[in-house]
Amino acid sequence: MAHQAHAYHMVDPSPWPLTGAVAALLMTSGLAIWFHFHSTTLMSLGLVLLLLTMYQWWRDIVREGTFQGHHTPPVQKGLRYGMILFITSEVFFFLGFFWAFYHSSLAPTPELGGCWPPTGITTLDPFEVPLLNTAVLLASGVTGTWSHHSLMEGERKQAIQSLTLTILLGFYFTALQAMEYYEAPFTIADGVYGSTFFVATGFHGLHVIIGSTFLAVCLLRQIQYHFTSEHHFGFEAAAWYWHFVDVVWLFLYVSIYWWGS
Amino acid sequence: MYYKFSGFTQRLTGSVSSTAYSPQGLRSSIPSEASTLIFATPTKVISESGASLEYMGANRVPDLQKIFQSSDGIPVHLKRGVPDRLLYRTTMALTVGGALYCLVALYIAAQPKNK
Repeated sequence: MAHQAHAYHMVDPSPWPLTGAVAALLMTSGLAIWFHFHSTTLMSLGLVLLLLTMYQWWRDIVREGTFQGHHTPPVQKGLRYGMILFITSEVFFFLGFFWAFYHSSLAPTPELGGCWPPTGITTLDPFEVPLLNTAVLLASGVTGTWSHHSLMEGERKQAIQSLTLTILLGFYFTALQAMEYYEAPFTIADGVYGSTFFVATGFHGLHVIIGSTFLAVCLLRQIQYHFTSEHHFGFEAAAWYWHFVDVVWLFLYVSIYWWGS
Repeated sequence: MYYKFSGFTQRLTGSVSSTAYSPQGLRSSIPSEASTLIFATPTKVISESGASLEYMGANRVPDLQKIFQSSDGIPVHLKRGVPDRLLYRTTMALTVGGALYCLVALYIAAQPKNK
């Protein structure tokens, strides 16, 4: 390797942007083919290609950061800005659904009966499973912070155990939400109440699944000694993301489940 | 004026005296005198350190760092050898094959149903 006189990461040429772009093409074209010809072959092919790309691209980033030492302080700063901008964009994504919810609920149209929840809608009791879900997510935030501090103090065993607990709480939340969806007395087709409810909570649930996966990857990396007490940005990014998902839930709980019922 | 090292900007920033005197990462309980310098001690690699640290398997990171830092000119996505090449070729084959299949499928879908 030639001598490098600066701290920036000069990346190797990578095939993954190309394979990822083709995966997106196959999935979107596959969706259209599925709608028109009832065949899911192309879409599944695109999904497999996307999963292969995701695995190998992120595997390479771990190699570059942990094994090759390319994630120097200025590079980490770039990663931090990247994650902050990504989470900001996610905030605006959810803002759109809250806008739709408040637009419909603050001045309910005559078609809804002029009231919220709309006439004929039986809502979920916010003090049953949704309150438990709030407690579960808040508790997972606590265990996540416990894990982070254990990591910074070099307490390997505690870091692994508390991170495992965080992930288990994440899966418990997902299981409770799945149960709640199954039991819900309304559907996504029940007017604007059903659509705003299921789109907002559904995308939140998807983000919980993504966040749990991110934390699970961090657990595997922690078990394999990838993180040091000083340098563990992958873990911090996962923790930021998890807190973001947690905060979105608090807004969903207060707005849609509680005030909206 | 007191200063501290900001972990976010990686620069010195202003701070209150209490923060400057006990900066983050340093514990006040640790004695401030430096320990006696010992020269020419053989360096110990982390993976060789005591078994008490080896909760859930040994640390293989130093070995992997050796593999991935070897200067052989191979790009990072192929550096691990045969398993990397297999996975890469499978992905590339699916990319090329899939793109061609997609073009054919879209061409067929563009043909009118009733002539």
